[in-house]
Amino acid sequence: MKLNVLGLISGIAFGGILAGARLHEYDTIHSTLSFEDPYVFLFMGSAVAISAPLLWWLERRGTETPLGGTLALSRAKPEPHHLKGGALFGIGWAVAGTCPAPALVMLSSGALLALVAIPGIFIGLGLRERQAMRDLERSVLGQKTTNPKTPAR
Amino acid sequence: MFDLLPNQLPWFVAGPALGLLVVALFGLANQPLGASGAYVQTAGWLRRRSGIATWRVWYFVGMFLGGLLVTQVLRDDSPVRSGYDALRDAFPLWFVIPLVFTGSVLLGYGAGLAGGCTSGHGLCGTAQRSPASLAVTATFMTTAIVTTFVLGLVTGGAL
Repeated sequence: MKLNVLGLISGIAFGGILAGARLHEYDTIHSTLSFEDPYVFLFMGSAVAISAPLLWWLERRGTETPLGGTLALSRAKPEPHHLKGGALFGIGWAVAGTCPAPALVMLSSGALLALVAIPGIFIGLGLRERQAMRDLERSVLGQKTTNPKTPAR
Repeated sequence: MFDLLPNQLPWFVAGPALGLLVVALFGLANQPLGASGAYVQTAGWLRRRSGIATWRVWYFVGMFLGGLLVTQVLRDDSPVRSGYDALRDAFPLWFVIPLVFTGSVLLGYGAGLAGGCTSGHGLCGTAQRSPASLAVTATFMTTAIVTTFVLGLVTGGAL
């Protein structure tokens, strides 16, 4: 219950910040990726520059979170599916000029092409999920051993 | 409605605010701020699957509402338009729709395969210093920049 309220509030804050930064606009993403304006690089870079040291410090002091136990950061090793997925994601990001969170803000900003982008993202994620299920079934049946991939977060 | 916010917040305001939000969600609930996971959980919730992280469904709704608050209440954005200004200037709508759709399916599939997107890996994963997230982020930044360069060449500089 408390986690749901926190989810709603952090969603509103995240959507609000993205809208304030105009990350839901194709032009913002495109002008950064074409090196005309470094805005998105600076936006993401400064966010990580603030959060990385704070998270490091919070983990080191063994912070007990009110809703999720002891703070534990995840440090996964890179695997082939990370690189393949990242490569495809980057191509789609550049073509569609949006990514999952900004696409929702695009819709609330009144930009109707978000009604094309959002279903597309759902379909893409769904295709991957179905493929992962089939891989899992196959590995359970022992015909082929493939590791089930970690779900999207 | 009110037009209280500038057209675009400076990066040194919006970026650090986002960084603090990432820290707050970790500090309060030990959770990353990933958007593609919210899509997956919302799709599962709509299909009435069991074992859904419902807070991520609320988070999904929240992102839409936060955008609504800023673009329609705090700032004076026009209520209805197509979006994609530069892309719409370069191509007719009958071409833009399948292009945006194809790109979106591709990025959705890629996010699923990589286990996260610009928020889950690009922001939260790199902030956690996760080698996998750093690899994903470096990869998608590279292919996105190359793709944008190729689009510029193919369209003769229109994009």
